[in-house]
This record gives sequence, structure tokens and C-alpha cells, in this order.
Amino acid sequence: MAVKKDLSINYLGLKCENPFFLSSSPVGSCYEMVAKSFEAGWGGVFYKTVGIFVADECSPRFDNNSKEGLRWVGFKNMEQISDKPTELNFENIARLKRDYPDKLMVASIMGSDDDEWKKLAKMAEQAGADMIEGNFSCPQMSNHAMGSDVGSSPDLVRRYSKAVTEVTKLPFIAKMTPNITSMEIPARAAAEGGAAGISAINTIKSITNIDLENLTSMPVVDGKSSISGYSGAAVKPIALRFIAQMAKDEKLKGVEFSGIGGVETWQDALEFVLLGARNIQVTTGIMQYGYRIVEDMISGFSHFMDEKGVSSVDELVGGALSNIIPAEDLNRDFKVLPSFDEDRCIGCGRCYISCYDGAHQAIDWDEERRRPKLNDNCVGCHLCLNVCPVQECILPGEIKFKEGRRAGDVVIKRHYE
Amino acid sequence: MSKVFKSDYSSEAVAGFTHRTAIEEAARCLLCHDAPCSQGCPAGTDPAKFIRSIRFRNTKGAAETIRENNVLGGSCARICPYDRLCEEECSRCGIDRPIEIGRLQRYAVEQEEAFGMRTLKAPERTNGVKVACIGAGPASLACAAELAKAGYLVTIFEKEEKAGGMLTYGVLPARLPQRVVDHDVAMTAGLGIKFEFGKKVGRDVSLDDLRKKGFKAFFVGAGLWRAKRPDIPGSDLNGVFTAVDFLKKAREAGGVPEIKGKSVVVVGGGDVAVDSAVTAKLAGAEQVVIYYRRTLEEAPANMDEIRYAISIGITVATNFAPSEISGTGRVEYVSFRGRDGKSEAKVAADAVVFAIGQDPEDMSWLTGVKLTEKGTIMTSRNGTTDAEAVFAAGDIVNNGKTAVEAVAAGKGAAFDMMSFLGK
Ligand SMILES: Cc1cc2nc3c(=O)[nH]c(=O)nc-3n(C[C@H](O)[C@H](O)[C@H](O)COP(=O)(O)OP(=O)(O)OC[C@H]3O[C@@H](n4cnc5c(N)ncnc54)[C@H](O)[C@@H]3O)c2cc1C
Ligand SMILES: Cc1cc2nc3c(=O)[nH]c(=O)nc-3n(C[C@H](O)[C@H](O)[C@H](O)COP(=O)(O)O)c2cc1C
Ligand code: SF4
Ligand code: SF4
Ligand code: SF4
Repeated sequence: MAVKKDLSINYLGLKCENPFFLSSSPVGSCYEMVAKSFEAGWGGVFYKTVGIFVADECSPRFDNNSKEGLRWVGFKNMEQISDKPTELNFENIARLKRDYPDKLMVASIMGSDDDEWKKLAKMAEQAGADMIEGNFSCPQMSNHAMGSDVGSSPDLVRRYSKAVTEVTKLPFIAKMTPNITSMEIPARAAAEGGAAGISAINTIKSITNIDLENLTSMPVVDGKSSISGYSGAAVKPIALRFIAQMAKDEKLKGVEFSGIGGVETWQDALEFVLLGARNIQVTTGIMQYGYRIVEDMISGFSHFMDEKGVSSVDELVGGALSNIIPAEDLNRDFKVLPSFDEDRCIGCGRCYISCYDGAHQAIDWDEERRRPKLNDNCVGCHLCLNVCPVQECILPGEIKFKEGRRAGDVVIKRHYE
Repeated sequence: MSKVFKSDYSSEAVAGFTHRTAIEEAARCLLCHDAPCSQGCPAGTDPAKFIRSIRFRNTKGAAETIRENNVLGGSCARICPYDRLCEEECSRCGIDRPIEIGRLQRYAVEQEEAFGMRTLKAPERTNGVKVACIGAGPASLACAAELAKAGYLVTIFEKEEKAGGMLTYGVLPARLPQRVVDHDVAMTAGLGIKFEFGKKVGRDVSLDDLRKKGFKAFFVGAGLWRAKRPDIPGSDLNGVFTAVDFLKKAREAGGVPEIKGKSVVVVGGGDVAVDSAVTAKLAGAEQVVIYYRRTLEEAPANMDEIRYAISIGITVATNFAPSEISGTGRVEYVSFRGRDGKSEAKVAADAVVFAIGQDPEDMSWLTGVKLTEKGTIMTSRNGTTDAEAVFAAGDIVNNGKTAVEAVAAGKGAAFDMMSFLGK
């Protein structure tokens, strides 16, 4: 009797049972894995990138970033594209499509020149893939003719997109690298080359931790290490920003976006959708928790739609975009003073410390009662609200208009988690 | 149970989680493969699954999991002996301490209520077959729910005026607020189950009457409602209570005015004794002493509850059993004999509460059903009795265990009933 909504959505003209897909990575790199993920409820898969080049991987190849008690806020990998024979990968894709005709199979490919791109695209089409994704974005390829070096060159992106779309009718999606200032530029180039979709982001070039035993970064490979891709929850804010900017770009009208980066929950997925994504891809969340996370993505998304009376995912696509505006257009006429709930307050004094050391010395500390008291210095920055450990103890309170500004209605947030 | 101070008889003992603290606790969960906690729950509530839902911000989904597996999930969240069930099994014990599964369950059920969720709905089609459940305690409610989900037309007959059984008339409200039981019952009733209150089967209506009315099968979840009184002089004096009567009275009246400022002796060593003593203390008794005939280590009561009782000023005296109650018309003194056969004690008291176990009421009206010497019902696997179409589970079969075991047994019996009816 669990609430379950129809989460189907069209992506590039094909009906997907739901927008939740595996992104190209080890989570979708052989028949058994993908089959298990389909049984768990994933709507489709971007199969692990296949090249003519077969990767020769290093060991170990992962590391994670933690903060205080929370491990694995970010994840670093030094993996390249598939280390399995090219033919075997396409055989797997063919078998999966045959055994799971209702699920979507996307072949992720990466060539090092026009011929390789064309060859791989044809192989993908022959294998029965529904779509092709061009991986222009792996940041740790051992050959500069491939990976994010290609993705940061609009010319190469345009050229290889064209190479692929010349030889196949399948929808082509270009996967972007975030290791760039403005993603709209290579994205436009991909669209010019014939790409119908853009997926973002691939991993961010990073050094997660320095190992003090060996004076290199993590993970340690024979005493050395490399700069390589960062993913997981920590990158979601960056991915959301790229998707929003591309979705707002006039020159990219009509291009369909697939959002990737740090998705673990239905809410993460919804955030991408609200910024214009019609498809969601996940890797790190699955590597950490397993395919089962899709159960709560489906259930939670259904409950959200049920609660809001939304009948299709389509209605939600891009719903937040119009409220994301340039900084110069923000209403700067007022400040929202924090309001402290004395009963909820546990007297830790963290708001006092942060306001003094990081804001405007606007909180006086009542030593007797161990309670904060707001003074006239407050600028309404809400650092205190961010630091308070008690849910909804500090909330937006009085709205004060600046000297000489005209008062009007102001929309504020009321509920904090 | 936490150490939060219980201030008066009906105010709640333990604070619940907020969204933020619930996620923090759920983040401690290791999200185990083939999770031991889920295996540790007799009723199959599947804590690993609902904790995962909370962790991944799907609180509503968590509430659904709980409610679909255990219709008394809200009550169980408050009173289950987790330390011997799910939490004892929790893998996290190998690192530090178990996940607070009970409190997370409570959080999800509270959200279910806050969101006004209708987690259980009557099936769109019924099969037209009428079945009766006798008693509205955990066993019956759980059985009725499974039957109703499968499309049977279920009526519950209950002798009291409210559903919940011992959860409504026994357990201390500071541990289990009535509104929690009421919410569980309301959710269960949402399956389209009918209730007839104030109807004692065997007295007000017979099984044959029900058969004539077209009921095709019967579930008996009658519990243990006859309190034991010891066979000692003076046990009929005014001021002598059985625990069941005492707790029920407190529950119905929101306290026990006549013991305010008085001295109360509680006899027994189980959770019921501790609940009675705490009830007496919170209801304003000046002095409350629990007398138990064995040692504390041997007492079946939950140690946390005993510790809590002591912390609010209740005394526990061990190795003494009552031998006589004396007074003119009312209780004035209770005499005890020591386990060593030599010690003796005589203490002044205004009231005595016997919490030395409950017995079944007379079940002989269930023609054809085999009873034990004690009067409980004998069943084969999953609650099948010797009488055709009669099934039983819960305290009336297991002689008094826990609410969650009653739920588990009631669910199990429902499946036997369905395979019987399906023949
Ligand atoms: C004080 C106290 C504290 C407890 N504490 C805990 C605890 O902390 N944790 C825990 O898990 N368990 C606890 N229990 C035990 C738990 O309450 C029981 O195990 C559980 O309620 C048994 O469920 P049941 O459905 O078998 O019986 P009951 O809950 O006894 O329900 C039986 C129902 O049937 C009705 N009935 C009986 N005969 C008839 C009839 N002939 N016709 C119609 N209706 C009838 C009764 O009125 C009652 O409503 C406690 C019990 C008590 C008394
Ligand atoms: C171990 C690992 C291997 C990856 N391999 C590929 C790959 O072969 N092709 C590709 O396009 N992206 C690859 N990625 C990038 C992911 O598909 C994804 O874009 C990125 O990790 C961000 O999403 P996430 O935060 O959900 O992991 C890989 C990521 C990881 C962690
Ligand atoms: S809103 Fe900013 S300035 Fe005002 S009290 Fe909080 S931290 Fe200080
Ligand atoms: S941070 Fe929050 S809880 Fe701590 S003193 Fe400030 S208002 Fe109170
Ligand atoms: S056993 Fe403990 S740690 Fe493992 S899933 Fe259950 S609650 Fe979580």
C-alpha cells in the first residue's frame, strides 16, 4: 500500500521508467551488476566507458575525504575507462538490452581520434544501445588525446560529437568536465556537433589528502600518487551550479540535461530536476551504499509528488530555475534578523562564538542564563542560524528595511532541517 | 530507556528525535548486509529498512515500512525490550553501542501522525468472507490487519470500551502514552476493520451465535486478565489490589487519588511490578517499596526500569515473600518471611499491590479447544487450536510475554487462518 507514483519521463525521445540511472563507472561495468541494478529499480544505465584503449589500472585507486565524524563526504578515484575487452563490453550491452528491453541502455564511449569515435559509435548501435554518451571528461586518462583534456577544448568536443552523430541516428549525449570555468562553451560546441543531450558532471580534479607517512597524496601507489577525479556528496553543489547555468543558457535551448554528482537521495535528485535535468545519474552513492538506495529515491520522490499534487516528473523539470538570478539583481533593501527560541536553546554558545569571530559581534552572551541576546550590530547574515546545533532554535525573525529603502513584501524561508 | 526525569504520572518519559537528530542517529547505522537487527525483530518490523529510509531522507517511506510490517509499530517503539531484541543484535555493538532503533521507530511513527498519513487503506475489493477476532489487544489487532489486507471482512469483539488490550489498560502511560496506542489502533482500523466494544464473547455472545451470523473463522487473542492473588491471610482486605486492577484504575482515572501521601507495598519482580510501583510513586504515594521473593539478578524486570524506579525514590527489597496482611477492615501491616527461612519483617502499609503474574480468564466456553493446566490455550504451530476454525495467539497462548511477540504470533495465526479458509 506504499505510495508509488508514475515516475516515468521521456529523455531524448525515449520513455524511461524513472529518471534514475547508473552513471558510467564500475557500478555498471558487467552484465551481472547492471542486471542486479535493474532488479533493484534503476531505470537505466550509462554503461562503463568503452574505448579502443583498454585501461591498465593502478592499485590502490580510491580515497575519501571526511569531516569530523562523517566519513566519505567526498570520494577520489584514479580509475580510467573500462579494463575489459571492447567486444565483451558491447556483448554485455546487447545481452542486457535483450533481457531488459524496458530499461534504457546507454553506451558510454571514448575514442582518441575521429576513426575510433566512429567505430565505437557503430559498435554501440549494433549492440542495440538506446543512446550513446561521449565521455569527454575523465580527468585521469594516461593519454592526452582522451578525457578531460578533450572536454576542455570546444573544438575537439564539436569535432568528436560530429564524428559520432555522422555515423549513428542514436541520440548522442556529451558528458562534460567540470574542470573548466564556463561549461556552456563546450556544451554549445557539443550541440553544434549534433549532441542532443549534455550530462554533467564528471569528476573534479583533486588532491584529497596528503599522506604524512610517504609525503604524497592519497591513495599511495608505490610511494607516489596523482591528481584525479573527485565525486560524491561534496561535489553536488558544484554540479548543480553547472546544470543551472547550462539550463539557463539561451543557446542551449532544446538540449536535454542529465544531472550527475553526489546524488544519494530523492531530494538530491529532485534538486537536479528542479534545475532542469530530465535524467539523473549516480555512481559514488552506489559504490558506498549499493543499488538499494534507489528504493528510497523512488519512494521519497513519489511521496513528494503525492504531497504536492504533482502527477508527472515532467512538471517539476526546471521549476527552480527562474528563481536563480544574478547577484546584482537580488533585493538588498532589507535584513532578516535571527530570532532565538529561548526554550529550544541549550546554551552551548556556539552562535556567540561564531558571530563574534566570524561575523559582527552582534550577540551578547548572558553568562548567568547561558543564553544569546541580539544587539544592534546584527547584519542579518545568519551565520548563527547555520552554526546552531539545535533544529529550528534560531529562525529568521524580524525583517528590517535599510535606511531610505522602501518597505515591501519579502519572501523568507520558514522551515529548516 | 533514557534517564530523562519523569515528572508526573502521565507526562512522557523520553524525548523524541527531531529530523536532524534522527538523521544523525540513522547516520550511525552501518546499513548492514542481511541486517541482524531486522532478524532480531520477532514481528518482522524490518528496522534496517526503515532506518535506511530515514537516513536517505524518506521518512514517509520509513513510516510505511513500519506500519505495513507491524500495525502496533508506534507502541512497540515505546515498550519493546530492544536490549534483548533488535538492539542486542545490532552490528554497531561491535564498535561502540547499538543504534537507537526504538527511538528512530518512534520518530518515523510520529512523522506518520504529523503528516496525517493514511498508511493502511482498506483493499479495494473484499472477498466477502466474515471472520471474528476476539479481543482488541496486540495479537488480535495484528491478526485482524493481515486478514483485512487480504480482503476478509473482519470484526473485532472487545469486552472493554477501548482497544489496545494491556497496552491501554496496563502499561504505564509515561512509557506508553495513550495517544500512541490510539494512533496505532486508528491506523489499523483504517484497513476497514469493524470493532464491537463492550462485548465479551462467551458471556454476551457465544461462538455459536457468531457462527450463525456468518463468521467463518475465529481468532482468540484474549490475553491474561485474571490477576493472581496470593493465598495468604488478609489478601481480601480493603487496600489490597492486583496489579492489573491497579494499573487499569490509574489509567482510566489518570492517577490513583486514594494513595496520595500514603505508603504502598508492591509485591513482584517483573515489569508489571515496576510499572505498578512507578505508577504509585508518580501518583503521589509517599513511600513505595517493591518486595521480591528472589534476588535482583533473578528478577525478570528490565534493569533500566528498575534503575529508574530506584532513581525516583522507590526502594527494592529482595528475598522476602509476603506471609500475611493485617489490619481492621483495611490494610495496616504486611508481614514477610525471608528466603533464608529465618528472617522475618512486618511493615506498616496503606495499600498492597500484587504483581505476581496474571492468569487467563475461564476459557471453557471455547468448546473443543484444548487448554493447559494453567488455563492457557494449546495450539499447534501458528495458532491452530483443536477446534475447527478456531485459532489463538498472544498472551493467552504463550502465558504472557511481550507486545511484539503477541503481534508476531497474531500475524502468524492470520496466515494459518487464511490457508484454512482458502481450503
Ligand atoms: C503492566 C504491564 C506492563 C507491560 N510491559 C510491557 C513492556 O514493557 N513491553 C512489552 O512488550 N510488553 C509488556 N507487557 C505485556 C504486553 O502488554 C502483552 O504481552 C500484550 O499486550 C499481549 O497482547 P495480547 O493481545 O495477547 O493480550 P492483551 O493485550 O491482554 O489483549 C487481550 C484483549 O482481549 C480482550 N478480551 C479478553 N477476553 C475477551 C472476551 N472473552 N471477549 C472479548 N474481549 C476479550 C481484553 O479485554 C483485551 O483487550 C506488559 C503488560 C503489563 C500488564
Ligand atoms: C570509480 C569511478 C569511475 C568512474 N569511471 C567513469 C567512466 O568510466 N566514465 C565516465 O563517464 N565517468 C566515470 N566516472 C564518473 C562518474 O560517472 C560520475 O560522473 C561522477 O563520479 C560524479 O557522480 P557521483 O558523485 O554520483 O559519483 C567514474 C567515477 C568513479 C567514482
Ligand atoms: S545574523 Fe549574523 S550578525 Fe546577526 S547575530 Fe547572527 S551571526 Fe551575528
Ligand atoms: S547556538 Fe543555538 S543552542 Fe547554542 S546558545 Fe546559540 S541559540 Fe542556543
Ligand atoms: S544491525 Fe545495527 S548497524 Fe546494522 S543495519 Fe541494523 S541498526 Fe544498522
